[in-house]
Amino acid sequence: MTGTVNTVLGPVPSADLGVVAVHERLVSVVPGAQFAYDVRIDRAEVFEAVAAQLRAFRAAGGGTVVDSTGMFHGRDVRLLEALSRATGVHLVASTGMGPEAMLGGYFLTPQTNPPTPWPADRFADLFTAEVTEGMVVPRVERRGLAGLAVTATTRGGRTATDESLLLGVARTALTTGVPASLRSDDVDDLDVVLKEGLPAHRVAVVADDPLAVVERGAYAVLTDPARVLELVDAGHAERVLLTTGGVGVSFGEDAPTASYADLTTALPRDVATQVLVANPRDLLAIEKR
Amino acid sequence: MARVNTVLGPIPSEELGFVAVHEHIGYGMPGSELDTRWWKSPEQRYEETVPKLRAFHENCKPYGAATFVDATGICNGRDIPYYQSLSEKTGVHIVASTGFVGGDTALPFFERASVDYLTDQFLHEITVGIAGTGAKAGIIKVGVSRGFKMKELDLRIYRAAARAALATGVPIFTHLAVDVEPAIEVFHDEGLPLHRVLFGHADDGVSQGKVRDTWIADQGGRIGFDTFGYDLELPDPPFWGRPRQERLDHFLRYVQGGRVDSVLASADANCSPLGWPGVKGHTVNYLFEVLIPALREAGVDDDTITRIFVDLPAAFLSLQTPSPTTSPS
Repeated sequence: MTGTVNTVLGPVPSADLGVVAVHERLVSVVPGAQFAYDVRIDRAEVFEAVAAQLRAFRAAGGGTVVDSTGMFHGRDVRLLEALSRATGVHLVASTGMGPEAMLGGYFLTPQTNPPTPWPADRFADLFTAEVTEGMVVPRVERRGLAGLAVTATTRGGRTATDESLLLGVARTALTTGVPASLRSDDVDDLDVVLKEGLPAHRVAVVADDPLAVVERGAYAVLTDPARVLELVDAGHAERVLLTTGGVGVSFGEDAPTASYADLTTALPRDVATQVLVANPRDLLAIEKR
Repeated sequence: MARVNTVLGPIPSEELGFVAVHEHIGYGMPGSELDTRWWKSPEQRYEETVPKLRAFHENCKPYGAATFVDATGICNGRDIPYYQSLSEKTGVHIVASTGFVGGDTALPFFERASVDYLTDQFLHEITVGIAGTGAKAGIIKVGVSRGFKMKELDLRIYRAAARAALATGVPIFTHLAVDVEPAIEVFHDEGLPLHRVLFGHADDGVSQGKVRDTWIADQGGRIGFDTFGYDLELPDPPFWGRPRQERLDHFLRYVQGGRVDSVLASADANCSPLGWPGVKGHTVNYLFEVLIPALREAGVDDDTITRIFVDLPAAFLSLQTPSPTTSPS
């Protein structure tokens, strides 16, 4: 299946994506860390660090990195554009946010009486506009179109706002045709999205139980190549994705550094063609309904 | 010499003049910057803000200078370079705050932070500067999350604020004066005298019946009549509005009842709101256009008005190392 994919530099045919690192965090900033007195974010340094990783990826045969941090965890659209131009790697950025604990007070305790948290439809409108009108550079401009909608749920059980976010992401994916991605420890979160009418092949899940994900027809995102091979052997080659599990540059919390280049040699060639090329291509292609 | 930190550097407290002690250049809940419905062009923001500050500057002239204390804490759209340009071009002294409007406006990074870390954050912003601007905070903002109930994170911020206030001599102002017992316990515990704390929004409509204002004042706390102008008589009043006369009568009970030294007054207006519609027509200049004439009409003399808007805030804002009320354990 082919179509187009929203990259930060514009639409690209999905067949041109090549080897894809499909669920990455290029630059991660814990919300608020940008205001911390002891956190120094030097854009030139960030650029150099991420660009080096992307160049190594490209030299190893990589083609595309998908940034799944969403809109409120350090996403910087202008920096991503410059990185893509400088390295030749396609970059796909995401809209969305979550889980609830990562949201700003604007969504949780708005200036209304009572302070009712945002419902699903408002999240859907916010995320959809990032796919159709452009991603926000806060209070400045919209730039580029989001290529996917992401959220996550609270470990140990989703909150009411997590559920609104799941529905918001599902509706965004349904309306715009971009895929949805979730980070979730309970496959019931995936079922919430599926019940909303989003076909399973439009959803990728970073899950504790990947088998339950692939059995529902959604994509399971894994970080361990051995687990990928197990699922491939079990007949799920067309529903498995591999990602580094690392972060390009992280502020506000320690996180392992990603090596995108390592992905290109992590799997046997035939499996890699399916898992790193064909599956992301199919997932990321915008599917108009 | 008593000094006060403004966004353009420290000034002597004698230079403050008329002080609006709880105001906002522009306030927005964290995350509101993602919602384009509230966005304004830079032209619009300056157009909405500069005339109000210039009018404020003119109104303050009989008192000397004009001082605008911005109560927009970390994460709520606080924008120091913008404040610096406004101050430089209008002549209004602007005092910026460190701290948080409430736990529910502290983003996840700070929600996870310890009392020690939060203290260091406030100390840095008061003694070194805010976000690389060199501008030092002149006051610490703390507050009660929505729901009228002090939360654990709120209290963690209160405790860090008390420690930073003791170490640096800057005062504290609070968003809301409800559920105040745990707050006062924290201040006592840390040894901060209550005259270094302005218990804000004691006058708002939704807090009435929930604020023990005379109990706070009896212990030396300062009572914020700092939502003047959010009147229910407005065409579209906010939910915290209050009948104009009722608020004035409440204030006059202090001013004419021998408690004038317990009060500070302000309008809590936004020059150009960032993440909410704001209240049309409500500006810091309400203090001159409505409040001061009403005070005069009620028989309050000019010396008392000067006391409320010049002398008391100057004493409050002056950096001072207070003698602790008790030794911290």
